Amino acid sequence: MTKELEHKFVLDLEQNQNIVHKVCRIYTNNQDAHNDLFQEISIQLWKAYPKFRGESKFSTWMYRVALNTAITLYRKSKRTIKTQDFDSVLFKVESTEYDDIEEEQLKILYKTIHHLSDIEKALVFLYLEDKNYKEIAETMGITEVNARVKMNRVKNKLRNILNP
Amino acid sequence: MDQLELLKKDWKKQESSLPKLSREALTKLIYKKSSSIVKWIFIISVLELVIPNLPYLFMDHGKTLKFSEELGLTNFFSIFYIAFYAIIIFFIFKFYKNYRSISANSNPKELMQNIIKTRKTVKYYIWFNLTMVPIIASVVFYKTFNSPDFLEKLPEDTSMFMVWSIAFVFILIMIGLVWLLYKLIYGILLNKLNKNYKELVSNGVA
Repeated sequence: MTKELEHKFVLDLEQNQNIVHKVCRIYTNNQDAHNDLFQEISIQLWKAYPKFRGESKFSTWMYRVALNTAITLYRKSKRTIKTQDFDSVLFKVESTEYDDIEEEQLKILYKTIHHLSDIEKALVFLYLEDKNYKEIAETMGITEVNARVKMNRVKNKLRNILNP
Repeated sequence: MDQLELLKKDWKKQESSLPKLSREALTKLIYKKSSSIVKWIFIISVLELVIPNLPYLFMDHGKTLKFSEELGLTNFFSIFYIAFYAIIIFFIFKFYKNYRSISANSNPKELMQNIIKTRKTVKYYIWFNLTMVPIIASVVFYKTFNSPDFLEKLPEDTSMFMVWSIAFVFILIMIGLVWLLYKLIYGILLNKLNKNYKELVSNGVA
């Protein structure tokens, strides 16, 4: 039974691991920390899995558990404290598609995101994942109005940094 | 293009550079040791539930009984202990129930609420124990200070006010120490959670 459950879970996790990696990118700024958080989210997902009864989509449930772990449950282990400039490691924004100004703007935006609070990071993440206000409200456990207000505030914060 | 739209577009492109872990690697990962905050809260809470009552286990009960008889407090202590342990059992039951409700399946708001609720139970429990200290100490001190034995040993010119003041300071220091330890442990453990919770539920204009 457990083996069966484990097999099913690992399959689901493998297919949806992008979600976890993306949460790690928002919340950590070096590869060590990324791996550490990825591990903790995977453990929490596995621990919560027997209670996941398919009342929502697997991916929706994953967003919730992953954000819970990043915001509340996860405690940084000592070995990941050393920091490194993230943009050189995790985000590669050099692309022929962008002009110099756009490239610079993207770098500033990613850098700014890393200085946001845990809650603001969650909101930006859900925005980038194209979630609507209803989904954001459900994922975070707040009202839709509250989600809207908070989202506008954090969006303005990002815009103001680029256009002081 | 709006800068945030540009960001969104780039975010989607980043997907191709995300790591891909194999099924074997993922299977290994899920059996690693968790460093979750809940585990620490549980361990510390159990210690907190047990430690205040530890001295009682190591007390010489024959001696205590004789002592309370001498002070004429036998009845007081019998009733007191029954009530005391009934309340403690209630606290432990509450703590266990709250602890069980902590689950990563809930949404962030509920999760934080449940952790805070669990902590509150233990906090009330500690306050309960702390208020018991001055109550018991006052009764025992009162009876002791008025017993003939004690009064005989006391140098003649000692004022009772001084004796009571020393007793009072002693109690205060004990309470202060426990409170400090408590603040220190949970300051470290729960600061981030409390901050995040406030930020999530507040809708005030920043």
